[in-house]
Amino acid sequence: MSVRISSVGYLNARPLVQGLAEDPRFSLDFALPSEVARQLAEDEADVALMPVAAAATMGDVRIVPGMAIGSRGPVRSVAIFGEKPVEELTEVCLDLSSRTSVVLARLLLAKRNPKVRFLGMKEADARKNISGTRGALIIGDPALTIEGKYPHVLDLASAWREETGLPFVFAAWCTRGDALTADHAQAFLEAKRRGKEASRALAEAHAKATGLDVISLESYLANAISYDLGEEELRGLQRFYDEAATARLLPRTTVTLFRSSSPSSSSSSSSSSCLDTILSRAAAGDRLSIADGLRLDADASLFDLGLAADAVRQRRHPEGVVTYIVDRNVNYTNVCTTSCRFCAFYRPVGHPEGYTLSREILGKKLQEVVDAGGVQILLQGGLNPELRIGWYEDLFRWMKTEYKLGLHALSPEEILFIARQEDMSVRTVLERLHAAGLDSVPGGGAEILVDRVRRKIAKTKCTSEEWLGVMRTAHQMGLRSSGTMMYGTTDTARDRVLHLGKLRDLQDETGGFTAFFCWDFQYETGTKIAPGENGTLLYLRQQALARIMLDNFDHIGASWVTQGPDVGQVALRFGADDFGSVMFEENVVSSAGTTFQMNAGTMEARIHAAGFKAVRRNVRYDWLSEPF
Amino acid sequence: MQTENPLPTFEVVEAKVHRGERLTEADGVALFREPNLLKVGLLANSVREKRHGDRTYFNKNMRIEVTNVCVASCLFCSFAKLEEHMPGAHTMTLEEAWKELEDRMADPPSEVHVVNGLHPGLPFTYYEELLRGFKRIKPDLHLKCFTAVEIHFFAELYKMSYEEVLTKLRAAGLDSLPGGGAEIFHPEVRTRISNDKATADQYLEIHRVAHRMGMKTNTTMLYGHIETFEHRVDHILRVRALQDETGGFQAFIPLAFHPDGNGMKNLPAPTAVDDLRTIAVSRLMLDNVDHIKAYWVSLTPDVAQIALSYGADDIDGTIVHETIYKAAGSTSPSGLSYDELVRLIREAGRTPIERDTFYNVVKEHAKSALPEAAMKVRDRKQNRHLEVLS
Repeated sequence: MSVRISSVGYLNARPLVQGLAEDPRFSLDFALPSEVARQLAEDEADVALMPVAAAATMGDVRIVPGMAIGSRGPVRSVAIFGEKPVEELTEVCLDLSSRTSVVLARLLLAKRNPKVRFLGMKEADARKNISGTRGALIIGDPALTIEGKYPHVLDLASAWREETGLPFVFAAWCTRGDALTADHAQAFLEAKRRGKEASRALAEAHAKATGLDVISLESYLANAISYDLGEEELRGLQRFYDEAATARLLPRTTVTLFRSSSPSSSSSSSSSSCLDTILSRAAAGDRLSIADGLRLDADASLFDLGLAADAVRQRRHPEGVVTYIVDRNVNYTNVCTTSCRFCAFYRPVGHPEGYTLSREILGKKLQEVVDAGGVQILLQGGLNPELRIGWYEDLFRWMKTEYKLGLHALSPEEILFIARQEDMSVRTVLERLHAAGLDSVPGGGAEILVDRVRRKIAKTKCTSEEWLGVMRTAHQMGLRSSGTMMYGTTDTARDRVLHLGKLRDLQDETGGFTAFFCWDFQYETGTKIAPGENGTLLYLRQQALARIMLDNFDHIGASWVTQGPDVGQVALRFGADDFGSVMFEENVVSSAGTTFQMNAGTMEARIHAAGFKAVRRNVRYDWLSEPF
Repeated sequence: MQTENPLPTFEVVEAKVHRGERLTEADGVALFREPNLLKVGLLANSVREKRHGDRTYFNKNMRIEVTNVCVASCLFCSFAKLEEHMPGAHTMTLEEAWKELEDRMADPPSEVHVVNGLHPGLPFTYYEELLRGFKRIKPDLHLKCFTAVEIHFFAELYKMSYEEVLTKLRAAGLDSLPGGGAEIFHPEVRTRISNDKATADQYLEIHRVAHRMGMKTNTTMLYGHIETFEHRVDHILRVRALQDETGGFQAFIPLAFHPDGNGMKNLPAPTAVDDLRTIAVSRLMLDNVDHIKAYWVSLTPDVAQIALSYGADDIDGTIVHETIYKAAGSTSPSGLSYDELVRLIREAGRTPIERDTFYNVVKEHAKSALPEAAMKVRDRKQNRHLEVLS
């Protein structure tokens, strides 16, 4: 089998990759940086030319020596442009998904302008936003396009060089597993040599495609970019990793090189840190890599995880408060076209047990929530093709006018379904629903955000990228959402940690997630798949691991609805600071046989018995009462 | 009841445990009051693992409650009916009781556990015959029958000494005593919740006599009602003192109070956090008792699983037909299958060991066996879904 190579498709990667395209030993795929990293992480690629920040996040990669995409001076294609010097900017707009550049920008600006705010947006929007004290970090071709158009430019590679005296490495060949051999690595070096010689031709082709100046492009490839990865570059990379780890922007990482004599299993990658070190870093709030997370999953004891998670909770929420919300989970329809194999709730279209709730019934349910002092409705349902966007808009307007409750409604799957039905973009659907009264988006349907798993348990459901895309759009519009994980089907420990990593990445980008909840697959006779890894102890471990890994999530909730009030209470000492909802009703999990109930008084009593003060909250986790 | 001296810090108690020093009353109260349950659990787990490693015991047992007629009026009890012929009152004939066992002889238990109400109208021979009949059905059966409260009641009713009662019952087949009836020893509590049965001293004296006669017994503590942490520690220390004297206790079993349908139904049940803490403190205080049992009927199987990391090394057995906690509103199933127990223990990361009543190994299971785990049916969340043997 050929070695699977995944690479970013940018011009500056071409000299390293070009020469491998014809080599029958390799199969080559070009993709966006985040997708390249995903392929390596999920074992869909053996080697990846990808940003060094993504390598640190994975934690178990080896870097192929001798070549990289870096710069020893001005790089030209990674720079902050503005009408004022960076020291005078109040805001920097940037595409937050370009992680290496974002981390570099944060490190460099921390000294030059510590008060500057970063505004995440698409690159095209960032460019339009450059004005007055608002600058933008522009990357790649767009940066080359606007060269010389603004009076002030901070070239990030130059600034790095100035500050550290070292080159900067943006991307490198990274490998996991044992597919790569010394011969392959040699072929990579040979490809680099030929690629550098071909820079004139590459520049010409790119100039033709983009209209950029060919001389400028050739000089960019030949001079601005440095394709070497020698001693000095490695010191530059290690310096970047160290500074980023100290600033808690990346997991602590030691650069590990690929050597043919050391197979991955015995290699001393950064993941081989001793367990105690990882745990103390976790408790201190450092960012952990995927490999660190897996190490904890495999080797940490229940108490190791619990104490570290409890320490993180204590640091984030020193008041010793556990929140809960009084709301009602209304499932407006059980008609669904998805037929997920783990679901006992849905009925296919035309099934005699299918229902869509009438206004009359909904109104009664809502009034009960108002009467009981509830603050919110969690509205979710199946993918019912009979319901159009107008139906939802009317419903939302009516609910908001008549009942004044928070509307936490429609998981990404439902949003995508409406978008497909109406042939609209997700953004348009969300904008219309937002205008009609939608306040926040529930995080249901995330299951495991690894497509290999999703295809097995719910093959008609949205992909991981689609799910994350809906959340990204919602967050960008100012809607908040929760993040969830349903594990315990065909998922492995690695899938679960990768899932946490994806939520963490998106949270870095948008900051839109309020809280994370997880639970295990609830097996019952109506469900069609066999349960996998689950159990009470695993729940406590997973929840603790989530608290440790999700260093950019404010809140972790204990899922008493699935685990029961007893285990839910114990989970409050495993990193949770929220006890979820006093559920008036819930139909999906209870279709699978789990029917626990608690009222506000019982909930508070359990919170108190676990040693915390209780507070009621709304969907944004604002406190609605004094802690007691 | 107040502890006079200021309580030691957790770190002081922790250091004592690591040095292998015996804990004091104040240490015990400090452990109950330590806000971070994880720290207490971790400490108890270290003691548990030092003693037993991952080994976690269970047995094939069955409970038979032959009568719920009872002259005692304990506030916490939802099981007893005061007189024969009252609604719900039931006393098995000897044949009915024996049939319970006969029905299970296809896959027989190694132990029968009999606990009853204090019935004023049965002759002593009823109990002797009950035991003889069980032994006739299965001669190698272990009979763990009659709490000390029953033994005391027999002694008074049939005008015998404790030793005479025990001698006669042993002659009929009795092998060991269960630990029920201990409740809370301290008179401030005991006189309020169970004033008309064996006192703490009488309970302990019966166990002392049994131990001297060479019998092994278990003992319990019913917590989570009106008692304070000080009362719990006092209770545990009385157990420890007798154990120093006789060494006859095999296991200590904290029992959670369940409030449904009894004289304290206005009280909330202890929560899981309190259950785990009590297990942990028991493990830490009782340096001379081998086993701490997480009685799954009292805790629910989920919490019992967690308890195996908080100091407990035994999860009790298959039980088959529990009625006492059932009457008090427990949501636990009446019985668990052998495989379900093995799975619960494995899922908790421990090694399941089937034992006999004296903790001799009957069968050591592998720590985890993937094929079985992959096939497992996971209806563990609610009793109606658990495999209930009936």
